Amino acid sequence: MENLTIAASERSPEVNFDVAAGVLQIKGESYPEDASSVFGPIFTALQDYLAQADGNGLKVDFELIYFNSSSAKALMNMFQMLENAKGTDIVVNWQFMADDETMKEFGEDFSEDLSHVTFNLVAVS
Amino acid sequence: MSEPGAGGGFSLFDAEERTLADAHHLLGRMQGGEAASLADVQILADAYSRSVREQRRLVKVSDRLQNQMALLNQELERRRAEAEEALERLRQAQETLVQTEKLASLGALVGGVAHEINTPVGIALSCASHLADATASIRTLFEADDIGIDDFQRYMDTAADTAKLIVANCERAADLIGSFKQVAVDRTSSERRSFRLFDTITETVTSLKPNLRQGGHRIDISCPPELELDGYPGAVSQILTNFVMNSLTHGYDPGQHGRLSITAQVDSDDMVRLVYADDGKGIAEEHRTRIFDPFFTTRRGSGGSGLGLHIVFNLVTGPLGGQVQLESAGQDGGTGFVLSFPRIAPEKGGD
Repeated sequence: MENLTIAASERSPEVNFDVAAGVLQIKGESYPEDASSVFGPIFTALQDYLAQADGNGLKVDFELIYFNSSSAKALMNMFQMLENAKGTDIVVNWQFMADDETMKEFGEDFSEDLSHVTFNLVAVS
Repeated sequence: MSEPGAGGGFSLFDAEERTLADAHHLLGRMQGGEAASLADVQILADAYSRSVREQRRLVKVSDRLQNQMALLNQELERRRAEAEEALERLRQAQETLVQTEKLASLGALVGGVAHEINTPVGIALSCASHLADATASIRTLFEADDIGIDDFQRYMDTAADTAKLIVANCERAADLIGSFKQVAVDRTSSERRSFRLFDTITETVTSLKPNLRQGGHRIDISCPPELELDGYPGAVSQILTNFVMNSLTHGYDPGQHGRLSITAQVDSDDMVRLVYADDGKGIAEEHRTRIFDPFFTTRRGSGGSGLGLHIVFNLVTGPLGGQVQLESAGQDGGTGFVLSFPRIAPEKGGD
């Protein structure tokens, strides 16, 4: 499968999925008109990757500054998808600015439903 | 439902939709079973369906609010940028006006110079002309061989007197030109140098003589003649000129003869204390806090720019690195300003 690279727009995040390395990065802001059009391609790529991971792990790095409610819903769906991929070692790094309490709480909230996925809260300054 | 990502992320409520479909199938399988259980499950399925609808609605509403907020933030940022730009333009316009005002006062100074030099040059000219006439007369007598001792005696007296007057007045003119040259150079160059404060004060006052004489005003100077400063004589000269012109413009009614004073001395800590005062009408209480503000003037209609004291403030706090204060009016009224600045101006003070 091919790498997925989407440049950031004013309302959507930058996406980099390095398939060979097994690293997906999502960073920036996310408050698009249509969340499914932004997250749809990411979901498809993740499905394809997880279907043929064949023992390879996956690392997902989030560096989100801001997202709206439908992006939050999309993220929940994404975490559910990761949690259900039992055959793959998955590590999520949830980066947030050290002074952004809200983004930290979102990370904690998302991690609650995860047991199979390793979820790291990473404060940066 | 538990299969990873079946259906992809094309519906945000994909999982919920599938749960609803599952519930629908379950109800179908339960048809014909126990009626009470069926009714309970139906209630649960309906409640879940409403809950999902509610979730969709909330997400939509919340998205819209967040969207509006983002737009408002953009608008706010745009307005802020606009306001900042306008402020910057205003600052530049003000700077330009201040420069214009400085040049205008330099123009006034040149006018004063011309007026002041006119007197000795005029006297020298009429003396020279008188001498020429007398010489022509004596020559006529000499050529007619009709010259008497008395005639020659008188001519020699005339020649000696006029020559003396010509020399004295030309020297006076030369002195004036010399001092004005210094004032003009200082004013325009704003270069740092060592200077005697007394000389700068007297040269500046001389350049203002025509204005002072017109209204019959007097100005007293008290300053140690040997007091030497290291700094910006042009700034000092500009400050004094603005003070004097303000006093003459605002302080006195026509026919009133003002008495102005400039007093300077050095404190123990090498600070120059320069006091300027007049005995005019003083400054109205309600104007006292605003006099150093740019464009504050009580004479907008009659050509006041409102920049005179603002320039004073800028020069004292800028190049001179000091402070200026309005003195509270004394018993005899009038206006006083107290300047305090280091004898040796701070580095990088120039503009």
